[in-house]
Amino acid sequence: MLTSLYVEGRSWFHRLPVRAKLIALVLLSLSLFATQSLYLLAPAFLLCGWLYFSLGLTIRQALARIGFVFFTILVLAAVNLFLLPFPEVAALVLRLMALVFFAAAVTATTTISAFMDEITILLKPIERMGLLNAADVSLALGLVLRFVPDIFARYEAIREAHRARGLPIRPLTIIGPLIILTLKDADTIAAAIDARGFRRQ
Amino acid sequence: MNTRDLVLIALFAAIVVVLGLIPPITLGFIPVPITAQSMGVMLAGCIIGAKRGALAFLLFVLLVAIGLPVLSGGRGGLAVLAGPSGGFILGWAVAAYITGIIAERFIHEGQSESRQFGGFFLASVVGGIVVLYGIGVPWLSAVTGTPLLAAATGSLAFIPGDFLKAAIATLAARAVYAGYPLLPVRA
Repeated sequence: MLTSLYVEGRSWFHRLPVRAKLIALVLLSLSLFATQSLYLLAPAFLLCGWLYFSLGLTIRQALARIGFVFFTILVLAAVNLFLLPFPEVAALVLRLMALVFFAAAVTATTTISAFMDEITILLKPIERMGLLNAADVSLALGLVLRFVPDIFARYEAIREAHRARGLPIRPLTIIGPLIILTLKDADTIAAAIDARGFRRQ
Repeated sequence: MNTRDLVLIALFAAIVVVLGLIPPITLGFIPVPITAQSMGVMLAGCIIGAKRGALAFLLFVLLVAIGLPVLSGGRGGLAVLAGPSGGFILGWAVAAYITGIIAERFIHEGQSESRQFGGFFLASVVGGIVVLYGIGVPWLSAVTGTPLLAAATGSLAFIPGDFLKAAIATLAARAVYAGYPLLPVRA
């Protein structure tokens, strides 16, 4: 149900360490926002687009992932055309699209576990301050992935119950029972986690 | 944070993921379809409170960032955060926190039902609409260069739907509060 957006591949971008890709993303966004020049933004756009489309996704898959964001960008650009001079609008569109291409490329070439390792390292300073336990973040993430199918099955059961009684399926009558039934499991799950000593407390 | 809080946070984040899988409802008189997921912010604050609600959404945003397609319509990944509406997604945690603060302050056991409805509705509107747009709209304006006023006027199209969401969230939150209260009490 929750398949990651990672794409198998052996491109040079796949082999780059996550940290390098994330730092590159930050630097790219900072530098793209620092310039207004179309002579810099247009090549950046082409380069990022080329990078994204060279990762091994089919054109259709590649467009499906970023289509929605591009649609929003273009709608806003259409509005901008009435309010701003054309070169400025072009700069804004190229900049955002370049950034979205690059961000999508990072997502497509990085596995969940690579991201998690990096996040655990990034959380270390916060952990040292005693604000949070990095292992808890991984545990919580694992719990979400574990329980989404269960909660979805529960949603379907509630929907079937509506059908069986001839009731219309309304979010209101579904959300309440769904949340109560799900959150009532919290005590049992917490007890199971503590019984296994996962959090070493 | 005890284990139960941790589990509640994770379960709520999972509920928000599932809300994204429910098909959106279209209503004749509102131009934008209503996704159940966008009610999540209001529900999180009103049901599990400020701190846990905000953490549930930080966890959810983390899922988006690491490339899981958990946003409604199967979207996700860093590209969505880099896009024009990234501010709304990053603003969810703050919005859930403010919703929770207000709900915790106004809702107590033994109040009349109508006061609880009023409290949840206020919390949902202030946290889920005022605070969220207060973060998302300036962000969108900064990223896309659309003048702030135009961006704000454009987002008015979403406001009727948001009020409807606040009303649904109010009813659902009150139903959960009656059946299985989890909201911490704040003096």
